[in-house]
Amino acid sequence: MLQFIIRRTVGALVTLFLISAATFFLFVAAPSDYASLACGKDCSPQRLEDIRQALGLNLPIVQQFWDFMTGIVMGRDFPTGHCSAPCLGQSFYSGDMVWGTIMDRFPTTLTLTLGGAVVFLVVGVGAGMVAAFRRGSMVDKVATGVSMVLSSFQIYFLGPIVLIIFVYSTGWMDNPQYVPITQNPWGWFTGMLLPTLVMATIFTAQYTRMARSSMIEQLAEEHVRTARAKGMSRKYVFFRYAWRGSMIPIVTVLGIDLSSMLGGAVVTEITFSLQGIGRLAVDGAVHKDLPLTMGVMLFGAFFILLFNILTDIAYAWIDPRVRLS
Amino acid sequence: MKSFSSRRAQAIVVAIAAGSLALTGCSENKGTNTGKDSKKDQKEASVQSKAVTYADAAGSTGPAKDVAGAQSGGTITVYQEAGLSHLDPGQTYVSDAGQVANLLFRRLTQFQEDDKGNVSVAGDLATDSGKMSDGGKTWTFTLKDGIKDAKGNVITSADVRHTVERQFAKFIFDGPPYLQTWLAGDKYAKDYRKLLPGGGFDGKHLPKSVLDTPDDKTVIFHFDQARPDLPQTLAMAGYAIVPTKDDTKEKYDKAPVATGPYKIQSYKNGKSLVLVKNTNWDPKTDSVRHQYVDGFNFQFGVTESTQTKRLIADQGDDKNAIQLTGGVEATQIQDVIKNPSVNARVTKGYQPYVMQLTFNLDRVKDLKVRQAITYAVNSKSLIAGEGGVYGGDVAPNYFAPTLPGYEAKYDPYGRLATPQGNIAKAKELLKSIPASEKKVVFAYANSENGQKRKVAIEDALTKVGFNVVSKEVDAASYYEQIGKLDNPYDMYISGWGQDWPSPGTVVTPVYDGSQVSDGSPNYSHVKDPKVDALIKKALSEQPTEAAKTWKEAQHYLMEKVLPAAPLWYTKQFQLSGSNVGGARYGSVSSLIDINHLFLKKS
Repeated sequence: MLQFIIRRTVGALVTLFLISAATFFLFVAAPSDYASLACGKDCSPQRLEDIRQALGLNLPIVQQFWDFMTGIVMGRDFPTGHCSAPCLGQSFYSGDMVWGTIMDRFPTTLTLTLGGAVVFLVVGVGAGMVAAFRRGSMVDKVATGVSMVLSSFQIYFLGPIVLIIFVYSTGWMDNPQYVPITQNPWGWFTGMLLPTLVMATIFTAQYTRMARSSMIEQLAEEHVRTARAKGMSRKYVFFRYAWRGSMIPIVTVLGIDLSSMLGGAVVTEITFSLQGIGRLAVDGAVHKDLPLTMGVMLFGAFFILLFNILTDIAYAWIDPRVRLS
Repeated sequence: MKSFSSRRAQAIVVAIAAGSLALTGCSENKGTNTGKDSKKDQKEASVQSKAVTYADAAGSTGPAKDVAGAQSGGTITVYQEAGLSHLDPGQTYVSDAGQVANLLFRRLTQFQEDDKGNVSVAGDLATDSGKMSDGGKTWTFTLKDGIKDAKGNVITSADVRHTVERQFAKFIFDGPPYLQTWLAGDKYAKDYRKLLPGGGFDGKHLPKSVLDTPDDKTVIFHFDQARPDLPQTLAMAGYAIVPTKDDTKEKYDKAPVATGPYKIQSYKNGKSLVLVKNTNWDPKTDSVRHQYVDGFNFQFGVTESTQTKRLIADQGDDKNAIQLTGGVEATQIQDVIKNPSVNARVTKGYQPYVMQLTFNLDRVKDLKVRQAITYAVNSKSLIAGEGGVYGGDVAPNYFAPTLPGYEAKYDPYGRLATPQGNIAKAKELLKSIPASEKKVVFAYANSENGQKRKVAIEDALTKVGFNVVSKEVDAASYYEQIGKLDNPYDMYISGWGQDWPSPGTVVTPVYDGSQVSDGSPNYSHVKDPKVDALIKKALSEQPTEAAKTWKEAQHYLMEKVLPAAPLWYTKQFQLSGSNVGGARYGSVSSLIDINHLFLKKS
């Protein structure tokens, strides 16, 4: 197990380095010059040069990349102060340290992700299991039908409708916003309730369908039928044998979903005017802000790689036949 | 401050573009009030374009005149789509940071607007708007007594000197360059920083022949030529005071020290900014600002669409909310207009921008071709895409309604009579033009707005016989691309607005031949000796004389050079919550007057 984790961690670090290099050089290769974008009106050549110097854009490209990479490990000094490791540089646009900005925005995305995951795992997977358990019943038909309808919805469609009903028309809820849980737990809960539920609704529908089909598949497996033939109760077989096996595809998709959500729930954050990692990624792209874009990319990539490893470990835990080698 | 070529303005262009496509369907403005509204706007334009006067000591003495019905207390919520790029006054050149600066920082002078919209320049830190001598080459300011920064330090002439000198430091690169360039004079015209490379931080100072502070209260500026606009220049947010003791150089951009009625309690860039009362601000020393509310809570990252929905709904805290520089999203303008209770909460007026179809004179050399295009373009369809009568008005010339010297009826190409284009006249001009010159390359931004403009330009020019080749340009770097001297385009739409109410801040950057370079706002690359001479003359003249010269310059440009076809004047249309009192349109900022606000119930 330890060997597996070490090997995968080294692989993840190499992948992160390659992602950094690819992002950096693609950005630099683009025809647009950030200094020109920042220069604004009365942009004399001298002014342009001042901006390049202030942002460190006059340095050789390789040195800029080297400074960025060493900053992650050792930290860096900027005119505005020291940037401690892991230093992801300083935003061209705002002048803020990228790591600090990401850490400031991460709790919003984390709340959305974990809150949403609780809802769609409990409700979605639960509904799917019940539907499979009572296959062909009215419960199954309702669960299948509702999940079919909801899975065709999109956050940018459902979000504004929910806002119109609960915020703009009735005033039952305040505008969604993130309040730190340590500062005001009730404000945190009510502020994030609508976005979390809307995002979870879309995922719930998908997980219901996935859990149902996965469980039906498991119930048709030979070992399950054998267990039933040996006289074990349906309920016992369901939870003791079928449930475990049905979790494999769910864990796979969950790993992918959680990692991409932690890397930024862009549509949800924009729809509900939340300042999370997704919004930050959009800002970085719009402003052609290389350090910010790279920082958010690496942050998102880190979660993808982390959940990849965790998913593999989870496979082994769920199904002992799987060996980590 | 109000340039469509600025980085922030580009973001605004993108934001406007994102919202305005759907408006096309409702841009006919068939509502009964539209014609009346347009005439009212034009009437108000005559107030907005009045010449600025300079106030004396009596006119610069606080406290500011009370706003009718004003109450104290409460917090105003301020919505803004994008975060602020800077808070350091020296780096402040765009509208959003300028609005925030009006609450936080004081300058030597400031703009003052009365209830009728008349604008004057009053002393802010100075006792008056300045005393001119030596034909405008020397300006003397005397500081008011008892002005302190938020830390309680008294502001002296040394702080003014420091504020000016730090403008020469390399870390100040995003603010207005006027004062530094003027102080540097012809000797350092190419690089003003050479006058004081260390920006005053290395112990070296500007020579007394340039900036003199003989005592704690007196500041004297010396220029190598007359600078009659100096009081207006110093009223820019970019020249707000940075007290010597408080200056942390690059770090100041994140935590500046206030001198105005509010100070920063917390700031998370791109997310939130909380302002609270600055107890060291003395209203008796300020003839413009108020301190009615306890504070301002800025929320960034709220799209214009969401801002509009929230403000129309007017629920909870949104009753206390305003838009900072954003406006009502174009698709929701009709929702506002048709609802009298919502419409009553609108502040609107002309913005300083003139949108024009700029010709690249290095490529479109034949005046007849430029004239034919000018006659052919359809301002009406272009304005329809901007929100109709609430988004813009037909521009017959290069001076916006906000500019002193604005001539509402100066219309050499009959654009007011034929806003949809004079096809017959354009065709007539094209008769003698060879087919090769009828092929024109038009650059447009790849935004929704850009797409609409492309269609309008292509339609209008194709009708009269032009072969239009449209080239898409990345919206974020649009101004960068058209700002290149050797760009491969014949024409492109660009906008420009004044930095203060003087044609000098429009004609000089946009049409001065000496400004032609990569990145310069002289997008047409016009280099005309007569224009250059008129600019030089006007800049050294007193306002009354200068007005005549600027008028001559505009007429010559429009009739003899024609570097651009004027298309439309832009308008601002903002909404505030029902509990916000004192909301009015600020003629200088072209936005809601943020210093004039209070909450009706706190």
